Amino acid sequence: MPDWNQIVRERLAAITLKIADREDVCAELAAHLEETYENSRAKGLPAQAAFERSMQEVDDWRALTREIRRTKSEDGLMNYRTKTLWLPALVTFLGASVSLMLCQFFGTQPRIVWVGHDAIWFYWPWLATLPIFGAVGACLSQRAQGPTAVRLAAGLSPALTMLTVMSLVLPFGVAIDGFHFFQLVSFGLGLVNWVAIPAFALLVGELPFLRSTT
Amino acid sequence: MTKRIRSKIARGSGELAILSLLAEERLYGFEIARQIGERTGGALQFTLASLYPLLYEMEKKGWVDGRWQPNQAGRDRRYYSLTAAGRRQLAPLRAEWKSFFVALDALAGVSHA
Repeated sequence: MPDWNQIVRERLAAITLKIADREDVCAELAAHLEETYENSRAKGLPAQAAFERSMQEVDDWRALTREIRRTKSEDGLMNYRTKTLWLPALVTFLGASVSLMLCQFFGTQPRIVWVGHDAIWFYWPWLATLPIFGAVGACLSQRAQGPTAVRLAAGLSPALTMLTVMSLVLPFGVAIDGFHFFQLVSFGLGLVNWVAIPAFALLVGELPFLRSTT
Repeated sequence: MTKRIRSKIARGSGELAILSLLAEERLYGFEIARQIGERTGGALQFTLASLYPLLYEMEKKGWVDGRWQPNQAGRDRRYYSLTAAGRRQLAPLRAEWKSFFVALDALAGVSHA
């Protein structure tokens, strides 16, 4: 007997609904496919033919995902995304930015580790605040019933924003100055300073809010 | 044998078909699809992909109410029942379709011989 729950879950993976709604939809559609399969088997179809008959119930899973998302979401897709991703991400980003500004305003100095001409620096007071903002972002997303991946993204928004900015800046640097090996080294260290280390600190705060809840 | 009606027409009539069935008894999705197929001689057929978005849309409008019920066979089923709002929709929808058939008959002569 095919695992219909698994089959439906995989095909509806992109659906953005509240966790409880998503579970309901997956269970209901899986039950329908299972009954279609059993019905076909009862009529004497071999297992493979019955499986194929059940799968013919849906010819475009992506279209079905869109349809269900449209009909199931209470306030429309944008509002749900706003509540689960954009708003928590904005709060996290603003919190982390204000924290960095305050650290600089009060003159706290980073601990610098030199790597050739470049430096890895640890802004300990700032890094110490990041788990709080990571937790706030993931918690807000969790309260809005965002899925785990969305909660993770919301809490990591400062690091993801920096990753995006740096990824956009690198090609410009290469275009203006030409390609040099040390550019890659600087880019790599920039990733460590502004993406990897902050992401780790944010993730520490997020962890309690990443477990699935139903 | 009744010829199967093309999906767009079937979908348009879906609300009336589902409301009519649920006016008689509570049913779950698979059974709704099965009964529609059987009672129309296969002319109207709903697949999973065409049925559930419609059911969810009707539930959102408050016409039907879906509730999970344990089933002795082991698989829980989500039964749909008609709400008061859904019952109120039934008569106007029937009238609307009747007018539609009368109009179409006048235009294209599609009534039964």
